[in-house]
Amino acid sequence: MLNFVLRRVVNMMVLLVVVSFVGFWIIQLPPGSILDVQMQRLRAQGGNLPESQIEALRQRYGVDDPFLVQYWKWISRSLQGDFGTSFQTDQSVAERIFNRLGISIGLSLTALLFTWLVSIPIGVYSATHRYTWPDYVITLAQFFGLSIPGFLLALVLLIVASQLWDQPIGGLFSTQFADAPWSIAKVVDFIQHIWIAVIVLAVGATAGLTRVMRANLLDVLNMQYIQTARAKGLTEAVVIWKHAVRNAIHPLVMSLGTLLPALVVGEALIAIILSMPTIGPLYLDALRSQDMYLAGTILVMLSALLLIGNLLADLLLAWVDPRVRLD
Amino acid sequence: MSDSATTQRSAAGAIVTEDDVIRVEDLRLNFYTALGVVRALNGVTFNIPRGKVLGVVGESGCGKSQTGLAIMQLTPAAGRYEAGQVLFRESSEQPAVNLLQYERNSAEMREIRGNNISMIFQEPMTSLNPCYTVGAQIEEAILLHQTKDKAEAQQRAVEILRKVGMPNPERIAVSYPHQLSGGMRQRAMIAMVLSCNPTLLIADEPTTALDVTTEAQILDLMRELQREIGTSIMFITHNLGVVAQMCDEVAVMYLGRIVERATVEDIFYDPKHPYTIMLLRSIPRLGVNRAMRLESIQGSVPDPYSQVTGCPFHERCPSAMPGICDTIMPEEIIVAGSQTHTVRCHLYT
Amino acid sequence: MATVAEQLKQSRAPKKTEDVGSIPQWKLMVRRFRQSKLSVIALFVLLIMYALMIFGDFLAPYPHNELDSNSAFVAPTKIVWGPQGPGVYGITQQLNQELLKWEYTEDPSIIYPIRFFVTGHEYRLFAIIPMNVHLFGLETPPGVTQKVFLWGADKEGRDLFSRVLKGSQVSLTLGFVGVVLSVTIGSLIGTTSGYFGGPIDNLIQRLIELIRSFPDLPLYMALAAALPLDVDILVRFFLITIIIALIGWTGLAREVRGKVLAYASLDYTNAALAVGASHWYIITRHLVPNAMSHIIVVGMLAIPGAIGLETALSFLGLGILPPAVSWGVLLRDAQTIQAVVAYPWLLLPVACLVIAVLSFNLLGDGVRDAVDPYG
Ligand SMILES: Nc1ncnc2c1ncn2[C@@H]1O[C@H](COP(=O)(O)OP(=O)(O)OP(=O)(O)O)[C@@H](O)[C@H]1O
Ligand SMILES: [Mg+2]
Repeated sequence: MLNFVLRRVVNMMVLLVVVSFVGFWIIQLPPGSILDVQMQRLRAQGGNLPESQIEALRQRYGVDDPFLVQYWKWISRSLQGDFGTSFQTDQSVAERIFNRLGISIGLSLTALLFTWLVSIPIGVYSATHRYTWPDYVITLAQFFGLSIPGFLLALVLLIVASQLWDQPIGGLFSTQFADAPWSIAKVVDFIQHIWIAVIVLAVGATAGLTRVMRANLLDVLNMQYIQTARAKGLTEAVVIWKHAVRNAIHPLVMSLGTLLPALVVGEALIAIILSMPTIGPLYLDALRSQDMYLAGTILVMLSALLLIGNLLADLLLAWVDPRVRLD
Repeated sequence: MSDSATTQRSAAGAIVTEDDVIRVEDLRLNFYTALGVVRALNGVTFNIPRGKVLGVVGESGCGKSQTGLAIMQLTPAAGRYEAGQVLFRESSEQPAVNLLQYERNSAEMREIRGNNISMIFQEPMTSLNPCYTVGAQIEEAILLHQTKDKAEAQQRAVEILRKVGMPNPERIAVSYPHQLSGGMRQRAMIAMVLSCNPTLLIADEPTTALDVTTEAQILDLMRELQREIGTSIMFITHNLGVVAQMCDEVAVMYLGRIVERATVEDIFYDPKHPYTIMLLRSIPRLGVNRAMRLESIQGSVPDPYSQVTGCPFHERCPSAMPGICDTIMPEEIIVAGSQTHTVRCHLYT
Repeated sequence: MATVAEQLKQSRAPKKTEDVGSIPQWKLMVRRFRQSKLSVIALFVLLIMYALMIFGDFLAPYPHNELDSNSAFVAPTKIVWGPQGPGVYGITQQLNQELLKWEYTEDPSIIYPIRFFVTGHEYRLFAIIPMNVHLFGLETPPGVTQKVFLWGADKEGRDLFSRVLKGSQVSLTLGFVGVVLSVTIGSLIGTTSGYFGGPIDNLIQRLIELIRSFPDLPLYMALAAALPLDVDILVRFFLITIIIALIGWTGLAREVRGKVLAYASLDYTNAALAVGASHWYIITRHLVPNAMSHIIVVGMLAIPGAIGLETALSFLGLGILPPAVSWGVLLRDAQTIQAVVAYPWLLLPVACLVIAVLSFNLLGDGVRDAVDPYG
């Protein structure tokens, strides 16, 4: 077990190094550099940078260095925890990323929790009431959930909520709470701001997992050990929740690995609509302005999140299902 | 015990002894599927005397498993009981109760399942839940019906595992099913069903999936435990050899009906129904001339969706009498000169 | 050990159609497919959508990029029945000084008639035949530039109906082609990997592991951001298709590899090798047909995702770029709540997208159930 985790972690490290290399290479592909983009922007606004400052930035970003040197500068600095200073805001990159990554992960974990809390019971209900009209309604709702783009749902919910009651639009906090210390009122305000994002993020995944849960449970309910459990005299609820669901839950556990990073980035579109300061818009912005250090750092961090998620999913799976051997 | 009991005829015509554990009368079960109605059981009538082993034999699809499941009301959801009674008598002192009067998942039914009537299934590989230890699965039944004390349940589970001949029962109790062989799993299943000392055990082809040596061991074990605990057994099987070894009495099923019912001796030495005779001829025997071909039963079981007029076996029967067998359904009758031998065939009326 | 015949049965592959005495497998599939009503409806909806796409230029009354400063945010035009058949009222534009918003008033005394099979802008039908006939158009006297906007106009006064039709030519094909490519790559690489094993297999597996270590969407975004901006729309279309294909193949490749591994250990593959069949022969004659139904199902189920991906990239400004249009590009206009509340018809492209994706999901589900009733 410990052996397994160690081996996986080492493998993960190696993968991350390769990922950082390939990722950085992809991100520096477009011609031009952040300097060009920024200077263009400044010129468009009528301003300009003093030559000395341009030269300093040239040095700092190594704009003229060959790729390998650039990579080395980036990775060695990153390993020391120095992610550089963002050109655009002069804020340290680390601060920007971690602030936003924290919000994104929190949001995604909430959405994941929501997904599980909804898709397990609905999937179970749907499977145990097959071919009844609620099952058909659930099935149809799933297809809509899979097919509606998240941002559309975000828009619709925003419109409905703002028409029905005083739904605050955009951001994470109302202005009066932005810098206030945490209090009940601030938490309420926060929930008011993020519930739409959580629902919208979770809908697609919920629809998919409900369908998987239903199909798996139908398979499991045909297994002999379910008859055995019934023949013992257990109530139907125990048969389903203790004996069947546990065997049908694999894909949900595995979803931890793939869904978490997908959710973290999937909110990029939604965050734009809901104007939330999360990692998605930051990444998009970094890509657009060719801030390759920032974009590269985010990409590698998301990869790390994916790999860690996969490892956690495997461990969780081994805990849920004794047949899964960790070796 | 049943030998001394007086015999009589039930309303449905079957011979019954006074002390039957279970008496199934005219049980009819239909499945309503997308493709049509499947008539799985068409008036099954039989009894199991207390402490005896009844073998139920017949071709695949004739309704053996469904009969067993119906007794416990574990029929698949698409099935509906159209008629009939399942009379269960827990002990000779108690009156018989009709189990079909209870709702499928009622508390009464659940109290009987696993406690008074238990069932073992054909596939030892899949009949234990892969996610829980063998011990936990046995304890579950004990905690449900016998004691509320966890430590005691644990102890009893280990005891019962030892009783079914498991080497190192403490270790087996904390093992998962996938860590055991097929034979060991079936022993674990037997331990589970015997943990609550059931009055009736329904064993649905418990050894079909096992190799011959393991099969013999499991059969020995069942026989031994049956003698010790006094459980009555409904033993469903394809294998007439196993019937000879295990059973006191035999019921032969064909297309959802019992066509012949007798003691093991009568079935093997004096079979009456042409179907039983053909079944017996299809067993290979030592010492018989190799050149003589094994007889297989001609034709195949009629489509369960359709209804056959007359005797359902007449199309495959070598001694079918035209005008009678294909028009009139034979009633169950007692074979002349016997107290316990009944048959459904026009040849004996 | 199970016989080859039994294993074949277990692999649930379509049986040869010439099986006598039984209904051919494909007929059974068609029959099972037709049982799921929703999938059949979805198939028809998609057929209609693709037909509209193919005849898009003929159906669109105006060029998708034709600006019209007199028609910014015109609501869908009301069609009325006039003396000369269907027509529209004359419309005048004035600026609402308070709201700083263009407003339009109808003048019921003027009716401009709608004509059919009118000549209009030049286009190539099926991208080949040069034509200038359009299904319908508005007949206006000289000097009047009023247009018929079936689905309203955007902020530049461009006809949304024409833009949605034009956008469908990208949105309905890009995802489809991307999936076809990725499924092809996936099956080829998976087959190779499973069949040859050894170092080739090892290399491919490492590659797959690497690609899967990247989170999907960020990788797509990075690759799309790396595409040159100053290329022809067609080139960009194909580059994005290739990006979709390059990342999407890994899952299928793993599955196909697994199938091939199971298959390669079968007796009759060895038997075929023993009688001198070549690797290629075995792959094309035995392995690929066997995995085909599975591959098709995986592909069908991947199409809605690919369509959504193109839309998302275009929406983020990384996919198809204006002046070219795709549904994703059109969605950019509908991203603020203010716009959507004021001009709800801007959501019509979203409706088309939802219908297409929903239909593909339903169709894929029906096909899966038909091909693989137990899966
Ligand atoms: N869920 C179901 N839906 C429809 N028909 C069913 C269902 N389960 C069983 N049947 C039908 O009930 C009949 C009896 O089945 P049963 O399983 O009792 O046969 P069996 O005698 O146990 O056969 P085997 O020896 O193969 O186990 C069969 O014709 C079968 O088609
Ligand atoms: Mg059976």
